[in-house]
Amino acid sequence: MRDDLKPGSSFPDLELPDHAGNPRRLSELTGGDPLVLIFYRGWWCPKEQSFFRGLVAFQDEVEVAYTRLVSVSVDPPEVAAAFRAGLAARWTFLSDAERRYLEELDLLETTDTLHHPYVPTAFTLYPDLTICSVWNGYWVWGRPSLEELRRDLRTITKAIRPDWEVPSA
Amino acid sequence: MSWCWLARTDERPPGALAAATISSGGFLAAFASDGPAPPGERKIDARAVDPDGASALASLVLAPDGVTIAFDDPAVSGALRAALAAPWPGVLSTLVVETSRFAGALTAARDGDRARLRSDPFARIFPAEIVEVGPGLLGTTPPPTGPVIQRYGGGEPWPWDRFAG
Repeated sequence: MRDDLKPGSSFPDLELPDHAGNPRRLSELTGGDPLVLIFYRGWWCPKEQSFFRGLVAFQDEVEVAYTRLVSVSVDPPEVAAAFRAGLAARWTFLSDAERRYLEELDLLETTDTLHHPYVPTAFTLYPDLTICSVWNGYWVWGRPSLEELRRDLRTITKAIRPDWEVPSA
Repeated sequence: MSWCWLARTDERPPGALAAATISSGGFLAAFASDGPAPPGERKIDARAVDPDGASALASLVLAPDGVTIAFDDPAVSGALRAALAAPWPGVLSTLVVETSRFAGALTAARDGDRARLRSDPFARIFPAEIVEVGPGLLGTTPPPTGPVIQRYGGGEPWPWDRFAG
């Protein structure tokens, strides 16, 4: 992974097609809210399927918390759309089928010479794309637990919402 | 501006921001948010309105006059979830009354996907009709990031998805 992708640094403003083929930019997708950004190998990986089932359960909390989820893989949009539908996921899946950012981010999983996928990596980002935390998920236990994501989202929300402390009458 | 007024009218209204015929009769018209509220007082996401927009097949869900339900009613939340999970149609906005009352939805598919419109999740809540909306009204609403189903401020019709209006 690129050396500067660490807490406090700014994450690159990627531009990629979503699962329906619409061009999307990360800075537009975050839209002023905290963002959980997940790079994953692809639909075929059992570890991803397991991890994403957890995220699908998590989305019920995220949907009412002014927070967004975005995942990125090298799966083409139609494959990402099928994976998303199969999981009943309701967040945006970005497709880097052309592998435009693999090299730039230095996130190529070199041990998989068949799919040339992203190394499973998770980021929590502030709305201006400043990195809060990074998880290297090459091994399953390196991935963030939902509790760790909750903790980060609390930290980010507390920092960006001026009314975190309930306004007094 | 994040929203406009939307009303169904018998005649093309003067002073509308945008208006178009609908195949079942009459017009759909959008009005500036800082102008007087039209009958029904329904708000629509401003991105769904474009005076230069092309015609499209649409599912128009309208609550009976005087009827609304809370936007946070589980029926509405369920419809929002279903809309997010399905392929995004191109034009979709809920119709909101006051700050927090759901009074319908407008979904349009320029590819003419009638099957998508027949399965409009908002049609489970209030009566719906599939109509051809003429040119001069419909814009484009980009798909929201998801999975957010909350509105961001009083009166913002989903899928408007940010606090700054």
